[in-house]
Amino acid sequence: MINGELLEVDAHDNMPLLWALRDVLDMTGTKYGCGKGLCGACTVHVDGEAVRSCTIPISALEGKEITTIEGSAVNPILEKVQDAWYVTDVPQCGYCQSGQMMSAAALLAKNSNPSQDAIHSAMNGNLCRCGTYVRIRKAIRAAADNLDQNAN
Amino acid sequence: MERRNFFKITSLAGGGLLLSTYLPLACTSTEVPNIDWEPNFFIRINSDNTVTFICSQSELGQGTSTGLAMVAADELGVSMDKLKVEFGQGSTERYGDVQDTGGSNGLRIVWPSLREAMATTRALLVAAAAQKWQIDVDECYCEDGHIHRKDQEGQKLAFGEVLEIASTLPAPREIKLKEPSEFRYIGKSVLGPKTKMAAKGTTPYSINKKLPNMLYAAIARCPVWEGSLTSFDATEALKVPGVVEVLEVEPTELQTTDYKGGVRPGVAVLANSTWAAFEGKKALKIEWEMGKNGLKSSATIQQELADNYKTPSKANINLNDATTLFGRSSKVFSAVYDAPFQANACMEPLNATAYHRGHKVEVWSGTQAPQLTRDRVAELTGLPVAAVTVNNPPSGGGFGRRYFCDFVEEAVILSEKVRVPVKVTWSREDTFLTSKYHPITKDYWQASLDANNYPIAIKYRGSIGRPGAYRCYPYSIPIAFYDYLKYKDGWLLPRASWRSVYAHPWGLGLESFMDELAQNANEDPLQFRIKMLENAEVVEQKELPWVGDDLYPAKLKNTLEMVAEKANWDTTNDGIYQGVSAMGYNTSYVAMVADISVENNQVKVHKVTAVIDCGLAVNPSQVKAQIEGSIMWGLSATLKDGITVEQGHVQQSNYDTYDLMRITDAPDIEVHIVESNDTPSGTGEVGVPGVAPAILNAVYAATGKRIRQLPITASLLESAVS
Ligand code: FES
Ligand code: FES
Repeated sequence: MINGELLEVDAHDNMPLLWALRDVLDMTGTKYGCGKGLCGACTVHVDGEAVRSCTIPISALEGKEITTIEGSAVNPILEKVQDAWYVTDVPQCGYCQSGQMMSAAALLAKNSNPSQDAIHSAMNGNLCRCGTYVRIRKAIRAAADNLDQNAN
Repeated sequence: MERRNFFKITSLAGGGLLLSTYLPLACTSTEVPNIDWEPNFFIRINSDNTVTFICSQSELGQGTSTGLAMVAADELGVSMDKLKVEFGQGSTERYGDVQDTGGSNGLRIVWPSLREAMATTRALLVAAAAQKWQIDVDECYCEDGHIHRKDQEGQKLAFGEVLEIASTLPAPREIKLKEPSEFRYIGKSVLGPKTKMAAKGTTPYSINKKLPNMLYAAIARCPVWEGSLTSFDATEALKVPGVVEVLEVEPTELQTTDYKGGVRPGVAVLANSTWAAFEGKKALKIEWEMGKNGLKSSATIQQELADNYKTPSKANINLNDATTLFGRSSKVFSAVYDAPFQANACMEPLNATAYHRGHKVEVWSGTQAPQLTRDRVAELTGLPVAAVTVNNPPSGGGFGRRYFCDFVEEAVILSEKVRVPVKVTWSREDTFLTSKYHPITKDYWQASLDANNYPIAIKYRGSIGRPGAYRCYPYSIPIAFYDYLKYKDGWLLPRASWRSVYAHPWGLGLESFMDELAQNANEDPLQFRIKMLENAEVVEQKELPWVGDDLYPAKLKNTLEMVAEKANWDTTNDGIYQGVSAMGYNTSYVAMVADISVENNQVKVHKVTAVIDCGLAVNPSQVKAQIEGSIMWGLSATLKDGITVEQGHVQQSNYDTYDLMRITDAPDIEVHIVESNDTPSGTGEVGVPGVAPAILNAVYAATGKRIRQLPITASLLESAVS
């Protein structure tokens, strides 16, 4: 299941999810950055957990629920995160931001009011060469506030 | 970065862009004709009222596409949320010679011609409406994609309704640019389409390109610069599922302007997915001949630069007779500053897709230099420039590396061989191990001091650049620039531009040295700089007109005074130590103060406060974003590893060994913008060169240890003496 849709992928078992998404399914929102789990650009959710899609072969994903950056329609928290990213003017080149937003959405799903430390530990695996970290912190807080208001 | 012929360009850009831009209309239908009117190459207006801005400059994340779209929207009279943005192709015919994006020039260079083009378009639309209404043009104005009547409120015509007339009118003889008071967007923090796309993950980077029958290529390149391919065995690679073909890649020679050429010898694996190509590449067996660089390391180069310093040199620039003044005192203070090679490490790995069809070539690649790339592809293939199309979608970071077109050359070379579209994707390892780099530097500074230890004159001998190369030197102390230091024989690693280019080592030296001079003279480092700027003369930049404007020490002084106040300079004494720097880059100025602490020889940066003067800040949110990003960039270069070379091989292969600032390391950043109505000026690089010296100066304040070498590691700090 990818973003609520049952999909069959015609690719080699060992192909990492990242490349199946990008080259086979044409879902190019998920990005290749390092291929080694070092940068977070390829972050997606598997059963709600933020994971690096560059290191998981598709064979390990049968029956799992996958959410990508394209999945905001089925993931209200992700949608809020995307809105917060936009209004906070976070992205510069934007290349790392799919991964950043996926990590942030996974964090907020578990912890709707994260402390600075919690933000740091959830986001430290996501590199941004453009250096948007200050605004990422701000946007996560904005998204958290927004979720909070909705909850009340 | 060296720019080609900028002077010619800027003077031509004024009205030259409007020539030959009226498209003939062939509409005979009696129904409302569907007109796509392109009054110039920046804008397309359709009879359904869609207005599309075509962004000629490269969008690398610096926000040029938004800034320029705002200028277009304001000058034309359309609303930003209705304005579509497209990314233009490389074309000298359309944009003159000003399209390639580097040196933070995008907005600065296009600003005048874009405004004139839009004002002309507006005048034509107004004239067409006036004709339709049979009233005077002065009775009409443009707003929100409509022409309105002043005398009858609510009466309006959509742009689309007057295109038929507008497209037949002659260009107006006189145009009137809008007054700043009439701007609706310029000067405001506007969220542009690039931000919207990025927040949805839909930015059309070239790495996403997919074409029918396209092959995905990965290339194993010679790991040592100027080495060669001896032999290879593709047997195992061809067994990898999905691999289609394995081909040798012949190198291309590095051209005199080194933006072109420099494709390394290599072996390409072509496959039906990126992953299959990467796996195939791993299975290749290759023998390389490493050549003379296989014997050299970073240390060899540092030694070569040090040796070269011993050769006599002459002063190429001698401001206010510095050399004579220098000789008048026997008291000399010297310092040498070292910085390693650096990689750009853009998050989107280098990539290009090319389709060579025999008589024409089309390229899709995020590049900073679409015009240069187009010329180069024509050169390589022997086709006329007109047969080459370079599509230039937004990039996931450029920072100077994408001004160099070797990665496009590779895709063209391969597609020429297989005659189907080929997308070359560099693996992350490729971008560290076999790329082009910011050079290693060693800069020598000397000052002669008077009896009170005040500087009389300065001598500078650095290692990147050429005689007369632009250095932003704003102070009143006379200075002499000497011959640049050279390597013994050729590059150890090929050069790429890197965010702020030569200004990084220049800033490291100048702004550390100013601190040391203040310390010698027993003065507060910030006040000392202000003093040295007080009587400084405006520096004329006539020799390098692409710089854009003269250098105004008063502007820099103003940013220093402001930053002193905003950062509470020198009033804190609570375990937090401050360091200051002040830098100009082209026509922008930044002063910054870093607040740090040092514990167990680890530097922790708590906060950086910066003040920027960039003329009119077209989009303040983006200006601040550029400074925030530049500070983070500078901090990576100051506190993280850098690139080192052993026996010709780069030692860093991925983000584990070439670490960058992460969110946990990121200090708070406060950016203040000086209010100004001067011509907008670049903001992408000016924030970088002051970062390393601000940190080093703060480290001195905290520890009494003067570090003159990047990066500042714990072991370096531990072994340093105060
Ligand atoms: S691409 Fe997966 S972590 Fe970098
Ligand atoms: S926005 Fe460019 S890498 Fe993060």
